[in-house]
Amino acid sequence: MIELRFCREIYRGRSVDEAIKVFAPHADMVRSEGPEHWVVQVSAATPERERRVAGELGNYALGLTVKSGGAPGKEDGPG
Amino acid sequence: MTLQPAGALPADLCTFDAQGASVELRVDAALYPLTALYGAAYVFIDRAFVLLGREDATHWRATLAWKRGTPPEGALRELAGEFMNELLSCAWRAGISEESRSILEAVTAQAFAGAMGPPALDDLDNFDFSEDALDDPLGIAMSWEEKYGKAKSADAKGDVPRDPTKDAEPRPETPQATKPEGS
Repeated sequence: MIELRFCREIYRGRSVDEAIKVFAPHADMVRSEGPEHWVVQVSAATPERERRVAGELGNYALGLTVKSGGAPGKEDGPG
Repeated sequence: MTLQPAGALPADLCTFDAQGASVELRVDAALYPLTALYGAAYVFIDRAFVLLGREDATHWRATLAWKRGTPPEGALRELAGEFMNELLSCAWRAGISEESRSILEAVTAQAFAGAMGPPALDDLDNFDFSEDALDDPLGIAMSWEEKYGKAKSADAKGDVPRDPTKDAEPRPETPQATKPEGS
């Protein structure tokens, strides 16, 4: 299992949520929230698959965040 | 994950993991704004898995992970160097963009004002025409006749004075143009 911790100051919660929806068919994902981070746990059949899905999920969330103008702040919650 | 110094790059800014599959960069937040970090990271998401984070109150952290398998010798160090260069470029462009923001806003406002078209009749009714359009203390904008022409009064011989009662009073001498000698 790989745990991704997305800093709320940098990542938009809705972007992380959208990325989870896109990559959910490829691995099991559990989303939770910390005071400073959006946390996503990724589990897949093999470690290599886990690593790849987690990496692509992170890139996708970052891309959506950048395209939407960056993180608005810590108040933004996952959609 | 055990981190090791990344060769020629400063050890306090750049470390890569023991398996050589990812590199971690420590970025000074005072030098590189978040917009610059976004820009540089966005450029590299097709070549590496990029994860951004907060190292501490004054530093960002950028982790670049090789996408498939083990990277060739020196490839990760090259990736880190290119990322730092891109980050510097993005920070510089962000600074220029911030400096020219007021100019861009002024030009855009003028463009929108011009696109509104000519003023309507109601606008002209409310327009204040009393204000002088031009301050001309040296008389440059005066016509030749206004500035050098003969006075339109009874000064000229044979003219009928406008006010006969004042005609008896001695008139001040009007300056005459002097002719050059010998003409």
